[in-house]
Amino acid sequence: MGSTNTAKVDRYKNNFLKEVEENVEEGDWVRMCMQCGVCAGSCPLGPHWDHPPQEIFMMIRAGKRDEVLASDSMWMCTSCYNCIVRCPRELPITHIMHGLANYAHRLGVAHQENPTRRFAQMFWNNVTKTGRANELKISLGLYFMDGFMNGIKKSLAMKKIGIGMFMTGRLDPFGLVQGRGCKGSGDIDKMLKKAFEIEDHRKGYNS
Amino acid sequence: MAEVVATNETIVVVGGGISGMTAALEAAECGKDVVLIEKNPSLGGRVAQLYKYFPKLCRPTCGQEINQRRLKVNPRIKVLTMAEVEAVSGQAGDYSITVNQSPRFVNEKCTACGACSSAVTSEIANPFDYNLSKTKAAYLPFDMAYPQQYVIDPSIVGTEEGEKAKAACSVGAIDLEMEAETINLKAGAIIWATGWKPYDAGNIQPYGYDRFLNVVTSVEFERMMDPKGPTAGKLVRPSDGAEAKSIAFIQCAGSRDRNHLTHCSRICCMATLKQTTYLTEQFGEQSEAEATIYYIDIRAIDRFEEFYNRVQEDEKVSFVKSKVAYIAEDKASGNPILHGVDTEGYNRYAAEHDLVVLAIGMEPSVDINALTSEISTDASGFIQLDEENGAFFGAGCSTNPLDVNRAVQSATAAALRAIQVVNQISRAEAA
Amino acid sequence: MADEKKIAAYICRGCELGARLDTDQLANIAQREGKARVVQQHDFLCSEEGVQLIRNDIDNEGVTHAVVAACSRRAKTAAFSLEDVAVIRTNLREGVIWAQPDSEENREITQEMADDYVRMGCAEARFVTRPAANSEAGSSKIILVVGGGISGMTAAQEISKAGYSVILVEKQGQLGGWAGRLWKRTPGKEPFADPEDTKIAQMVQSIEEDDRISVHLNATVGRTSGAPGQFSVDISTASGSTVTENAGAIIQASGFENFDASQLPEMGFGKSPNVVDQAGLELLAKEADGKRIKRPSDGKEVESVVFVQCAGQRSDKEGELSYCSGHCCNTSIKQAMYFKDANPEIETAIIYNDLRTPGNGEDFYRNAQRKRVTFTKGEVSSVETGGSDLEVRFKDLILDEVTSLSADLVVLATGQVPNSGVDVEAELEAETAENDGNQAGSKQEESLSVSVAVESILNLDYRQGADLPHLQHGFSDSHFICFPYESRRTGIYACGPVRRPMDIAQATEDATGAALKAIQAAENAALGRAAHPRSGDLSFPSFRKEGCTQCKRCTVECPFGAINEDDAGYPLFNEGRCRRCGTCMGSCPVRVISFENYSIDTVGQQLKSVDVPDEFEEKPRILVLACENDAYPALDMAARNGNHYSAYVRVIPVRCLGSVNDIWVKDALNCGYDGIVLMGCKKGDDYQCHFVKGSEMAHYRMSKIDDTLQQLQLEAERVSTLEVEITDIRRAPQLLNDFVDQINEIGLSPFRF
Repeated sequence: MGSTNTAKVDRYKNNFLKEVEENVEEGDWVRMCMQCGVCAGSCPLGPHWDHPPQEIFMMIRAGKRDEVLASDSMWMCTSCYNCIVRCPRELPITHIMHGLANYAHRLGVAHQENPTRRFAQMFWNNVTKTGRANELKISLGLYFMDGFMNGIKKSLAMKKIGIGMFMTGRLDPFGLVQGRGCKGSGDIDKMLKKAFEIEDHRKGYNS
Repeated sequence: MAEVVATNETIVVVGGGISGMTAALEAAECGKDVVLIEKNPSLGGRVAQLYKYFPKLCRPTCGQEINQRRLKVNPRIKVLTMAEVEAVSGQAGDYSITVNQSPRFVNEKCTACGACSSAVTSEIANPFDYNLSKTKAAYLPFDMAYPQQYVIDPSIVGTEEGEKAKAACSVGAIDLEMEAETINLKAGAIIWATGWKPYDAGNIQPYGYDRFLNVVTSVEFERMMDPKGPTAGKLVRPSDGAEAKSIAFIQCAGSRDRNHLTHCSRICCMATLKQTTYLTEQFGEQSEAEATIYYIDIRAIDRFEEFYNRVQEDEKVSFVKSKVAYIAEDKASGNPILHGVDTEGYNRYAAEHDLVVLAIGMEPSVDINALTSEISTDASGFIQLDEENGAFFGAGCSTNPLDVNRAVQSATAAALRAIQVVNQISRAEAA
Repeated sequence: MADEKKIAAYICRGCELGARLDTDQLANIAQREGKARVVQQHDFLCSEEGVQLIRNDIDNEGVTHAVVAACSRRAKTAAFSLEDVAVIRTNLREGVIWAQPDSEENREITQEMADDYVRMGCAEARFVTRPAANSEAGSSKIILVVGGGISGMTAAQEISKAGYSVILVEKQGQLGGWAGRLWKRTPGKEPFADPEDTKIAQMVQSIEEDDRISVHLNATVGRTSGAPGQFSVDISTASGSTVTENAGAIIQASGFENFDASQLPEMGFGKSPNVVDQAGLELLAKEADGKRIKRPSDGKEVESVVFVQCAGQRSDKEGELSYCSGHCCNTSIKQAMYFKDANPEIETAIIYNDLRTPGNGEDFYRNAQRKRVTFTKGEVSSVETGGSDLEVRFKDLILDEVTSLSADLVVLATGQVPNSGVDVEAELEAETAENDGNQAGSKQEESLSVSVAVESILNLDYRQGADLPHLQHGFSDSHFICFPYESRRTGIYACGPVRRPMDIAQATEDATGAALKAIQAAENAALGRAAHPRSGDLSFPSFRKEGCTQCKRCTVECPFGAINEDDAGYPLFNEGRCRRCGTCMGSCPVRVISFENYSIDTVGQQLKSVDVPDEFEEKPRILVLACENDAYPALDMAARNGNHYSAYVRVIPVRCLGSVNDIWVKDALNCGYDGIVLMGCKKGDDYQCHFVKGSEMAHYRMSKIDDTLQQLQLEAERVSTLEVEITDIRRAPQLLNDFVDQINEIGLSPFRF
């Protein structure tokens, strides 16, 4: 999608705020921020971000396109909604953050190393394959994300839970070779394709 | 009770705070007849509850003394206290007003000698101190109370305490049989000077006003400085009575917030800047006492900027551009811990203070539309100047969140608008 | 004079007075020493029967002066407000029995205190006359309004609506002022969302059609003389003709000038035509008439605009404004909307430090954001004009970085400079310094440079200068928070931005208030009644010319410029301008100035009537001259709260410390008082004196009294001037007690006999 990215830059002539408003879910709320910072202080994951939401909004207004889209901030949102509840301007901050993440991802410029993003991608790939989440594959994929030795360590640490899940039938040991699918997986592909079409159309990706 | 003569050339002023007093006095000093209606037992309103004014740091009662003197010598003003407007009907130049007057149980004979108060032992929550202290059930609301007349709280009427108070009065001023009265007034114009009330701080959930003892509002903080106030003039923490030497002021507590009040309450920045000077007054120049102001924008408008500069020069006062996200309490010490982010350069803080003062927002004290539906108000319920309102004029903080100076200007303007109406009537009658 | 008088004394026994004091003795003193020809005691004097008792004596016995020895003058005021007679309140309750502990050992000195107060009350009565209003009061009810901007026009219309006539003087060729040059105004009504029509054209039209308003265009005030009720005003027109009009009161709505943006070269003003101030932008918007605004340099439609807030304001730089002009944030928001409303694609950025949109301005701010006006918290360092686009350099305070924005047009939000005429106090200071042999030095130079080349607005023919005195930064404002229309030139009220930076909404409200005050001043002047703060007072100063030495102290020291000088240098009193503070009386070294009910004698005879015990009794006597506005109420309330003070003090309320004449202090020392305390309001920059300079004057005069003390070989500590506040209900008694202790240490006065 690199070419889409370039096209966007050209089309919005450095007006990143406008680009966000037109392409990011709830993006037209960004202009309403008055920089009070209550969202930044309300976020339970706040200490772990590059930029708190209000700063991201200011960066958008200042046209810092590359920095914003490559930021890990929006990937850190856990949807606790503290920021939305407290925002004196009623900005749907949680939604904007997710919208920004989604947009960066679509443009192919999203933060590469962020584990949340990688996990999200992994989950997507996994669930869209058969229409059902393969717990074992997701877990192992997640554990071994940062290399083999780390993977072993994490798996051992999670051993008890894994066994527990297995005993209660929540984890299929054969999933590694062949997970359970669902009926009519072709229909799922169709559904997803249609969903993509609708979203692309709505956000103007086709034009 | 007292005879009140009012005609369609009378101006009725509702609310006896500084705006109402001003409107009444200015109109009367132009030769107009005025009836001033106040729901509390005394005039003075919220201004009387303030410790000091910004930016001069002078005493509100100083001006009140002058206004009371003007009132005492002006026979054109009739004051009704403990009275509330129940209904208004009619139109410009011809209003009928129904007023309910609660019994004071003390008549005009009262010399304010204080014998009744000495005689009783019952106490009631003291509204003058926002119920943070107690006062005798036979009481003079405050030193500067006008009318200078005691009040018997209804709770002791019909009890032995009530009889004790009555027996103590040598001039027969206590009348325990007094009953509520309905008074019907005519008026040519009505000035609505019902003022403001502090926003309910309990609604601002993250700040824990209803949970943490050491979170107070700015109006309560004012009362704490009064030597006769709830803490006898000491800046001490409600939780343990320890001196509050590290005080956080949170701006826009309720204001500029779509979850609470959408308007800016205008005065709170200046009120906080003023209140930081109380620390030096209380603990001295050399003390380690410190104030931290958490703000979005410091709105020290026009010449008030000077005062802002002065406070900025005080090393003991620091400014953090941040709307505090939430307050937690350290269970052991009772210290409030403020969490948030300084947006200037992005610095996260968890700041522990002795006391938090919420610079609480202002809202109209009376919902005018509940009384009469035809009055034009803004979205916050403040009365607008509108021809559709006939001869019904807002004055002071019933029209907008205003500082004292602007409120008095507004009241003076309202007095003229009312005079224009009654002058028209008198001209018409003369013709 | 005493012949026509019939003094009666009424002694109340209520409120424990009867139990605590020997009232028979008080009655005796009133009769024998006080020369009261009727003396009555009553158990409840403020009751209907009690007052009727006095009333009967007035009607049947011909009583002209009633000494009411009961509670403080602050209590039961209405009950004892008797028409036709002079009423003297002797304060036995708050002033004596409440101020003293109820104990056997105190009984004697408490009684002595009460005895003295009765003597003092009777002595005062002998020298007081119930004032009759000045018979020479003027009766013009026409109001002169100077300035035809929104403030002046509003004042004129509101006055007319109340049924009074107006003379409106405008120096330009048309009405409207700055407001008339605006494309639109900030909204004044719900929903506070969009710029609104100024409606100036309709306003001008209705003023022109108003029979009660006569308009003088291209006109200035050449000379103003007289007093409320009888101002005489020369109105000069550009053509050279002059008409003289009478006016009862004056409203000064002379507005403001925009801060000269060429003083901000770093902001590119003057270097590029594309850098304008807010007034300049209004011009461009008017030209555009709702269409796209074009940039001045080449007529290109503006595609990007940056607003720089606080340009030359809130600044500590020399020559710039230290204050905030209050309206400019909303004005920039409004102007940004001019662009957005014409075309939403235009990039508009507002760079601010604190965004100041009080009250409903918050709605306006939100709506600007909704319209995609960008707000950036930052500090602008410069505007570069070199390239084809302008480059605004600033520090982004949120992102904490130095950056820049390019724009077709830059708007500087510069502030309001009051158009307040001559700085009369600086002139007067310079004059005084000259008279004193140029000691003032640097201060004088500073003030002179301020007053150079400034045209007067009112050209007052007043001894104290041609215009209203200024507050800080040249604004003609009131100094008082509770009394925004307090004016130091009686009957002349400033409104609009000349008194404080403000927007249209506030100016409209302000002008309406000023209109009331002007009407009120004219009405009361006609009745000979004083204006605030002694509203309704009918007394006025008179002076004995034969004793006058033409020293000019009264003319210079009057805080209200009420006294002029005639050709021979004698004071010329303008009663209508007088506020009855008595500062002139206090200033007069030969004591020729007095009021009917307040004079050298009414106080002097009181202090002399006190029975000073002989030196062996070891009972000091301290005279306290307490300002009736704050110090006296503080002592009253102290007593009510049981905060006692020494029984050796004798308190006399004075109208203002400024009215205290040296002679009272000297007389007191000669009578054997051991110490004298002047208790008044705070002086200095944040003065709380209701009469401006009274407290200041008292301090100054008392500093000079040291010479007298030296001559009498008395210690300087015997005279003290103290500042108290009305809330000092603990401190004020403490100060008095400390003073008595100090006197006891020094020892009693050697002047007792």
